[in-house]
Amino acid sequence: MIRYLMIRGKTITSYRHGTSINVSSSSKQHGVEPKTNLIELFIDEKAIQVPPGTTILKAASLAGIEIPRFCYHERLAVAGNCRMCLVEIEKQVKPVAACAMPVMKGWRVKTNSNLTQKAREGVMEFLLVNHPLDCPICDQGGECDLQDQSMAFGNDRSRFVDIDYSGKRAVEDKDIGPLIKTAMTRCIHCTRCIRFASEIAGIDDFGTTGRGNEMQVGMYVKKLFMSEVSGNIIDLCPVGALTSKPYAFVARPWENYRTDSIDVHDAVGSNIVISHRTGEVLRILPRVNEEINEEWISDKARFSYDGLKRQRIITPMIKLNGELQNVDWKSALVSVANILQDLSTNKCAAIAGKQADAESLVMMKDLLNKFDSELLTTEQPFPQKGAGVDLRSNYLLNNKISSIDEADVVLLIGTNPRYEAPIVNIRIRKGYLHHEQKIGFIGPPVNLTYEYKYLGQSVELISQLKLGTNSFRAILNNAKKPMVILGSEQLSRPDGAKILAEVQSLCKAINNSTKVPKYWKIMNILHTNASQVTALDLGYSSSLDDLKKNKPKILFLLGADDPCIKKEDFSKTFIVYMGSHGDYGASIADVILPGAAYTEKCGSFVNMEGRSQQTNAAITPPGMARPDWKIIRALSEIAGISLPYDNLNEVRNRIAEIAPHLLKYGDIEPTNYFSQLFEISETIHGTFSDNPIDIKQKTLDQYFMTDAISRASVIMAKCVQAVVKQH
Amino acid sequence: MERILGHTISDFIKAIKQNGGIINSIKVLHRMDAIKLGKLVGQDEFGNKYYENNNNFVCRNRWVVYNEQLSLNYDASQVPPEWHGWLHYKTDLLPHQDPSRKKYKWMIKHTPNYSGTELSYVPYSTVKPKIEPWNPKK
Repeated sequence: MIRYLMIRGKTITSYRHGTSINVSSSSKQHGVEPKTNLIELFIDEKAIQVPPGTTILKAASLAGIEIPRFCYHERLAVAGNCRMCLVEIEKQVKPVAACAMPVMKGWRVKTNSNLTQKAREGVMEFLLVNHPLDCPICDQGGECDLQDQSMAFGNDRSRFVDIDYSGKRAVEDKDIGPLIKTAMTRCIHCTRCIRFASEIAGIDDFGTTGRGNEMQVGMYVKKLFMSEVSGNIIDLCPVGALTSKPYAFVARPWENYRTDSIDVHDAVGSNIVISHRTGEVLRILPRVNEEINEEWISDKARFSYDGLKRQRIITPMIKLNGELQNVDWKSALVSVANILQDLSTNKCAAIAGKQADAESLVMMKDLLNKFDSELLTTEQPFPQKGAGVDLRSNYLLNNKISSIDEADVVLLIGTNPRYEAPIVNIRIRKGYLHHEQKIGFIGPPVNLTYEYKYLGQSVELISQLKLGTNSFRAILNNAKKPMVILGSEQLSRPDGAKILAEVQSLCKAINNSTKVPKYWKIMNILHTNASQVTALDLGYSSSLDDLKKNKPKILFLLGADDPCIKKEDFSKTFIVYMGSHGDYGASIADVILPGAAYTEKCGSFVNMEGRSQQTNAAITPPGMARPDWKIIRALSEIAGISLPYDNLNEVRNRIAEIAPHLLKYGDIEPTNYFSQLFEISETIHGTFSDNPIDIKQKTLDQYFMTDAISRASVIMAKCVQAVVKQH
Repeated sequence: MERILGHTISDFIKAIKQNGGIINSIKVLHRMDAIKLGKLVGQDEFGNKYYENNNNFVCRNRWVVYNEQLSLNYDASQVPPEWHGWLHYKTDLLPHQDPSRKKYKWMIKHTPNYSGTELSYVPYSTVKPKIEPWNPKK
């Protein structure tokens, strides 16, 4: 990627940061913003003061005046090619494009004058000349910018009468993969998709060919749009040229119910809207959250919803004669409760899966504690040597997702953020394009959509960096805001504790040799599992080896499907699987209790930066399935130790007793105790294993199917097929 | 008032006697909204009793008293077809007095309307299920 965009990008960010709408809270807080003189101008006779460099469109939106636009998008570079935002400026001959014109002192902008209205009507007429009249069969109908704006700003009569004579311009549809349906005749050439692909997704495949009436948006050659965030161009497209393939002809937007929720396919905690109707999830859309996902979501979050309808566990099951049989709730719970009788210390255990919510995690912990057991762990082991889960700063992305793009040097160790957390990768790419960010990378070579300095694959590199024998250390030393991001996958290696300690001492060394702002945190961990931080916050502090050593009589799998849990290791253990999908975990279980998926329960999740958020139940769990915490509550009663929580509020009160920050939805508690953390890490001794650092998700085909829901999804399977075919 | 009192005071007293005294008559009144005087002409296999009183005009002179065990949960579909004819004046012959009545061995036992009960008929779904359950055997 050539950084030519940077120059353009810089102008965008300068005005964006200059105005007060989009200033991120951190930069505001710490006063990095330069003081500037404000320019006064008048928009529709309304006086407004804005910093220099602000465009008319931005200034108008500050004044509360909406100017229509198609090509302009506040997160993309300015193109200025749709001309819909033309406005009149007093004493100027021609109307100007508001999205690209910086304001000047004393201007009197008229957004509603005759000239402006005429200009808009003219633009609208030209757009509609070649736009097909297929609104009734178009999937964008009801949420179409062109429809809305032609109603609001277009002329009320048509001069287009030669429909029998020459017809409208027609363009062949493109095949750009199993996710995006194209109807290129509808395209109005706003180039938002092209700009998204090259700026945000980092794929320069989209472009235009031809000019004038012959202009076409496309991929030049027949090709897949190979991106992990490709679905966002569906939202960006102002017309129905790019629509969702799985959602094609499914529903109309005004018929759907919308439930705000959180995505749990990665540890980012992207904000989503679940669009549902008749008890079925119809599609997933992003919800704007400037602190986390801006307005993007990954393809796994957006398209894996059909996995919620397949491979579901809808009845309790018991293994009889080696085969799982459907039973009723009572017999399943009684059979589990029987095993729970007369247990000695540490004879029951639990493993939390990728998508376990805080409510079920806390109930499970209370249940096990009642049976005098502390054998609670997560699917992805976290080293318990040293600080373990005692210090939050030991396992969080301490620096917040929103400040990643502010960093000037980022060192990625054993993580591929592009697939492990696409939203984080978008942030790093933003920093790379707009803030001259330098990126170093340790791990197997991967394509991150931006240039990075490849350091190698050996674990020893961390020590070399610490000791200063690697040349990248000099770059880190000169950085004002360096960030070290360690992939959580490396922590599950046998030498995970050593890697964590070594990275922490590297961070200490960097901290000593540079002067970083007080609020800036160098040490960061990038998690891949949505439930990981929640479980660590709630004190799931055991390890898989501990579990194996203790030979528990009963093992609960809270949706844990990782193949690292082997039946052989628990040969004499009664395994109870509690979850929504029949996957690996269910196949090794003796009893299966059907739980709810994330769209079917109200659950709290803490993302990798320590921000607590909650999912909301959009639909009811299928069949006999129930929200997980209710199952544990019922089980505890049958086992004779009733947990005293009868409703969600009482469970959440219990969570507040253990970890009050889990109920402060949307907020982050700042992490601290770094000097103590670094001190503890120095007490950890050990050696690195010889294995080089490896990452599970290296290419796009490894990205799509990573958890029970996405593995059950047909759409995701099609994506994998398409990517494999492309290679 | 006429439904309770009947035509004459002596009829009223007889009716109360027939219904088993004042307290029982109040119970009957609660159950059937009427205290009637009539001759018991028969009983069906479900325990419903059929009465006739030709002093009443037609349409009021034949009636059924449903099995007392049904309490208030009685409805017209509990009358079996053989008594239905007599009750609705299709014939004046009582079922056991009618020689022309056919009895075949394929005739099934009468069932009342099961709507609203667990036995009610539910058509099978022709729609593909929205949720595909997991099959552990696959």
